Amino acid sequence: MKTMETRVLILGGGATGTGLARDLALRGVDCLLAERRDINAGASGGNHGLLHSGARYVASDAAAAVECREEGELLKRLAPQCIEDTGGLFVAVEGDDEDYIANFESMCAASAVPTRPLDLAEARHLEPALSDRLIAAYAAEDASVDPFMLSLDNLAQAVDKGARYLRNAKLAGFERDNGRIRRSIFLDQTSGERFEVEAEIVVNATGAWAGMVAALAGAHIDILYSSGSLLVTQDRLTTRVVNRLRRAADSDILVPGGTVSVLGTTSVTIDSPDLCRPTVAEADAIIDDARAMIPVLETTRYIRAYAGVRPLVLVAGAGDARSVSRNFSLIDHEKDHVDNFVTITGGKLTTYRLMAERTGDLVCAKLGVDAPCITRTEPLPASTKGEWTEPGLGPRRWIGERDGDDIILCECEMVSRKAVNQIIDGMDGQYGSSLLNSIGLRSRVGKGPCQGGFCGLRVTGHLYDEGYVSGLRGVHEMHAFTRRRWRGLRPVLWGLPLVQADLQEALYCGALDLELEADVRDDGGDL
Amino acid sequence: MDFLDIGLIFAAAVCAVFLTRRVTRWRTCPDGGSPFRKQGTAKAFLSVIKAIVPEILLLRRAARTGPLRWLAHCLVFYGFMGLLLFHAMASLVTVNLFSGYEPTLNPWQFLRDLLGGLVLIGLALMVARRVRDRRLRVLSRFQDWALLFVVGGIVGSGFLLEASKIISPAMFDSMVAEYGVYGGGPETTALKAAWADRFGVVFPSDRLVTPQRVERGLEINDESCTACHSDTASAFISKPLASALTPLAPAMNRSRADRVFWYAHILFCLVGLAALPYAKFLHPLTTPANLAARAGRRDLGRPGGAAARGLGMDACTRCGECSLHCSVAPSFAVLGNPDILPSEKLASLTAFRDGRLSGLGLERFAEGSRICTECLRCTDICPAGINLQDLWLASKPEAAASVPDPNQAVRAMTVAARSAICCRIEPEGLADRRESFWACVQCTTCTSVCPVVAVSDDPSRDLDLLPQQIMNLLRMGLKDEALGVRMVWSCTTCYKCQEHCPQDIRVADVLYELRNTAAARLRQAEGEEG
Amino acid sequence: MSGNTHDVMVIGAGFAGMAAALFAARAGLSVAQSGVTGGIDFSTGFIDLMGVHPVAEGIRWDDPWAAVEAVSKDCPKHPYARMIRPDMEAAIGGFTDFLASQGLDYTGHADRNCRALTPVGTVKRTWRVPRTAWKGVLALESAAPTLIVDFHGLKGFSGNQLVEMRKETWPGLRTARVTFPRGSGELYPEHMAWALADPKYREKLAEAVAPHLGDAEYLGFPAVLGLIDPGRVVDHLEELTGRQVFEIPTIPPSIAGPRLRGAFDRGLPGLGVRTLSQATVTEAETVEDGFRFVVGRGGGRTEVRAKAAILATGRFFGKGLIADRHAIREAVFDLPVVQPKTREQWHNKEFFHTDGHAANASGLEVDDRFRPLGRDGRPAHKRLFAAGAILAHQDWMRMKCGAGLAITSAWRAVQGLMQGVD
Repeated sequence: MKTMETRVLILGGGATGTGLARDLALRGVDCLLAERRDINAGASGGNHGLLHSGARYVASDAAAAVECREEGELLKRLAPQCIEDTGGLFVAVEGDDEDYIANFESMCAASAVPTRPLDLAEARHLEPALSDRLIAAYAAEDASVDPFMLSLDNLAQAVDKGARYLRNAKLAGFERDNGRIRRSIFLDQTSGERFEVEAEIVVNATGAWAGMVAALAGAHIDILYSSGSLLVTQDRLTTRVVNRLRRAADSDILVPGGTVSVLGTTSVTIDSPDLCRPTVAEADAIIDDARAMIPVLETTRYIRAYAGVRPLVLVAGAGDARSVSRNFSLIDHEKDHVDNFVTITGGKLTTYRLMAERTGDLVCAKLGVDAPCITRTEPLPASTKGEWTEPGLGPRRWIGERDGDDIILCECEMVSRKAVNQIIDGMDGQYGSSLLNSIGLRSRVGKGPCQGGFCGLRVTGHLYDEGYVSGLRGVHEMHAFTRRRWRGLRPVLWGLPLVQADLQEALYCGALDLELEADVRDDGGDL
Repeated sequence: MDFLDIGLIFAAAVCAVFLTRRVTRWRTCPDGGSPFRKQGTAKAFLSVIKAIVPEILLLRRAARTGPLRWLAHCLVFYGFMGLLLFHAMASLVTVNLFSGYEPTLNPWQFLRDLLGGLVLIGLALMVARRVRDRRLRVLSRFQDWALLFVVGGIVGSGFLLEASKIISPAMFDSMVAEYGVYGGGPETTALKAAWADRFGVVFPSDRLVTPQRVERGLEINDESCTACHSDTASAFISKPLASALTPLAPAMNRSRADRVFWYAHILFCLVGLAALPYAKFLHPLTTPANLAARAGRRDLGRPGGAAARGLGMDACTRCGECSLHCSVAPSFAVLGNPDILPSEKLASLTAFRDGRLSGLGLERFAEGSRICTECLRCTDICPAGINLQDLWLASKPEAAASVPDPNQAVRAMTVAARSAICCRIEPEGLADRRESFWACVQCTTCTSVCPVVAVSDDPSRDLDLLPQQIMNLLRMGLKDEALGVRMVWSCTTCYKCQEHCPQDIRVADVLYELRNTAAARLRQAEGEEG
Repeated sequence: MSGNTHDVMVIGAGFAGMAAALFAARAGLSVAQSGVTGGIDFSTGFIDLMGVHPVAEGIRWDDPWAAVEAVSKDCPKHPYARMIRPDMEAAIGGFTDFLASQGLDYTGHADRNCRALTPVGTVKRTWRVPRTAWKGVLALESAAPTLIVDFHGLKGFSGNQLVEMRKETWPGLRTARVTFPRGSGELYPEHMAWALADPKYREKLAEAVAPHLGDAEYLGFPAVLGLIDPGRVVDHLEELTGRQVFEIPTIPPSIAGPRLRGAFDRGLPGLGVRTLSQATVTEAETVEDGFRFVVGRGGGRTEVRAKAAILATGRFFGKGLIADRHAIREAVFDLPVVQPKTREQWHNKEFFHTDGHAANASGLEVDDRFRPLGRDGRPAHKRLFAAGAILAHQDWMRMKCGAGLAITSAWRAVQGLMQGVD
């Protein structure tokens, strides 16, 4: 069995894990990040992509509001490539809680969250999609963030500074000895081989899966899994983030994400984070609720739904002095008699850097490393690995820098063959069990209105041409890709998406017999 | 030498001179090489022979433009050819083939009315078609109506001539004088009574007809007349016409209307002959010739020779089918330049070849040539089998050389330059409304059917972005990027994309709007600079 | 014919609509037809009759007639259960004869389904294939040495994929990528087909392919070989290369659709059909003695009156059925639609689930004369008929019966109509 050595093993390649890898790498601490599937496979890839101003939490959690305000300001300055500083609105419509509205301004002031009252005509001028039954509106400093670019850029800089990472590395267990984790045993899901990692400290940054991973180490964390579904519209309906001005609840935020808008979310308790799926009922509930705020949500074309799991830590490391906020939980498992094991979970995308910093501080303290965190001042450089997640980059590059023999593989988002090759190169040879899904994650392939119906076929052909896949593998990958897209498509299948799905069914099954020929088994991947 | 001979010689001379001019003009067509180059003469000849029955005798291609038009053509074609051969050219043809030929005997008398009747029905269908179809009515020119009028005139005057002869006592007298032996006695009176009663002659005296006279007259008729004169009733159109004219008969007979109609009939025929080389009048000759030469082929094939092209140009029947099927016809609706339509452009092409086109006419022709997308539809539908596509391919560069493209300067600019000028806020249009693109299912049909993309050697180099890509750009809200794209400026607004979109997206309208928007901004920018 | 009133209005221009217009015109009726580019443009050009039953078990049939019999027995509501074989044969034969008269020859085995390659390398069972694809069936069935040619710039067609997918059972399959003789950059099948109408480009193409031919007996191209006379292009390429040449469909936009549509565009007017092509019915009402329709929008609006109507509007992509968040509706007459109770049940949780999706078997319930039923369970109108994908109780995409069902149900609808025209 192959053995790898590192000082710090980070489990989980979400925003926190990649952020921590960068944090440690910048401090000069050798680290290895191991991810079961792919970057942002969990909640980091299943959220609004909202950089909170803090105003949403002024009533429920003043400390979180302050954290969000501070971290939001930092990220806008340090990682501008990942952020679109859209600004935000908080609006209430007829029937919303007027007491809450009345107290909103003073609550914001208490947390020093900047807001500015707007007259209703001004609000509707700024965002014509808003309902004409508006009763209150405030401007806030929300922004949208591209979580994929963020994690990919974090990882890219970490790797640049000497960190290593592994994808498709499923944790199989720990070997413990004297209250310490000696070895972590992994299964390489691509090759099916086992390997082990020896590390001085193991950080559990697996988000909703933190409880399961901790259990493998003999530690216990009580986590409630709350699944939240979101809907993506084909168009960008507003220029700004629009929040419902009410106590935080379901379906009350619409976030622009490049060329689309993301609407959500719901909150459904589930038994396991692996069961997280958007449902038909949730899609209906979201629209029924949110259309009061933005009426076009009833008629607009939706592209897909998706879901993420929030890990709600029930007993957030009781008595742990370093747990700085109810928002995220940093747990030193010394208390569970596993001395070199740390869990970081919960929190928000907006505060990921802070979570990484606090975790890095704890890790360094345990290692005896005396290097300060510099992510508070050091800009996050843009990388070529993360750039293709940006909507609109495809067409701009195509017009400006097209090569003579290049062709477009994904029409919706204009991702060219050359871009796909660049994305594959950026995976450092870690193609995983589904190269097609990995390309989708790192680019706009499959994210447009066709949801992979056409581009899935074209990119698969391209993978065969380039020799990345052979035999039936490419078609199996296409099945996995299609299954993944379908999960998000099914809840929004009425009107135009249903027309699109009918076309895809006619093409895939009616014309190509794809449901018959290739093996339709589940690849186990949940990406 | 009587009037007929002189007229005939004169008309034939006119016809010959202009026909020669027309055929020699074919040489002005650029020679793209012989269409038969590879086949060999024998094989080519065989294919021509094979084409004759379906293409010429059965008018197969006319059938493709609808049953009504096919029927009309068959009626006129067969009716008129029949009349021409056995009636007009009787002394050459019929007399030699049938020894007992007399124009007043059956079946000739009957046949003449039958064929004439068929022609008239066919003409009526043609007129009805031109009047009923609004688009065709707009396209119809003088020559179209003139040909219908002349052919109708020939046949119509023929019927009137025959009818006026039936009622004419003078005609009766001259025949009796020529053949009769009854020099004005009671037999003549009896014969008159019989002809007045049975055969429609209208004599001035109204007390002529008595039963005894009629009976006797019929006997005489049987003895002396039936050998070379059938019952006028077998002229089943002229006889009722004559009956209808009876109230006018005394006046007509006094003025020898039969002679008037004879002159009219002959004149119509001579006009027809003299006008034969004129425009559409020639198509009964050139269309079959062209169909035979094309031997039933409808594909593009190879470039035609000068003669083939010239023949094609002259084979146009101006039926207007090509224009009804033209893929850029909507541009005509917008721009109003008739030369966008193939049938009209072909007329202008003839003038262009003659060097008769200048000024506005030349500009229109050049614009029409430029807008043509070479989509092949006109060639495919042409009932005369004209290889229009080949004609346009040959004439396009010449037209472009005569009148340079006014948008050349805009087209030559770089994307960046155009975008830089165009990036200003515009009031909302189709391109700004996201709903415009909601329904797109990304099938790329719009690009796939686009003739501009099709004729480009490297579409993304020549056009930057293709129609569907522009739609996606706009869907993503990147309108300013779209304004600088060459495709927007190369679009011919042929509307094929829009017609074929399964999701009813107004692709062409959007492209058209983008161009207008960009042009307006360009003008504004120039104004500010100046 | 009184003025503008037709005997029948065919709504739809897919396989079912085209077939209905053809059969009605041949029956001597005066026909008007409307419809835009739809499913037919996304077809492979193959005519499937019946390929899979039961869908959940994915059992494939070589004998389509046995499959039809089986499905008629097991699913008595399937439209095929209302048909008899002679009618079905006559319908498909009539349809392909018409196509042949327009230059699109179809062929197949006498009594069994053909096996044909798809552009993703799967093998499909189908009843009739265009003559230009026939040699591909022979090549596949004999696993003869074959060269697949693909082109730089033609996306979605990978010879490598075909070879990789089939290499286990077809070792003699090879591929070569060549440069198309006209144009570079991105290529589209229709444009390539236009280019190949010119013999000059066929010669250049044959030259480009020549170095790769080797021992190949068969030569497969993506379906780009000519638009109007594909048979002629194939013959010419066979002459030039000395190999048996065939076409493999491409993913949309393919030229199978434009070829079919072109054949009907050329042929139907000659049969007296009044085609209001590229226009949809925007208004429909029943009037005394028939129907009144408005076709098209704005300046292009045309009013059409007809004594009878055949609804061949397809399912969702054809716009015959429209769904909002709560229900599926019929688009033209708002006829009752057989459908699952809630949207939750419309689609399975897995796209490739062996059961398929319930929404894809929704549609119109009809009587034995193929008249859609109204809410009271009786025919909605005595002279309103339905054909094709809009019929309920069939999932043509999983059963592989799309074109066959469209053509045969169109035949039955016209039959039903003839019974009713006194």
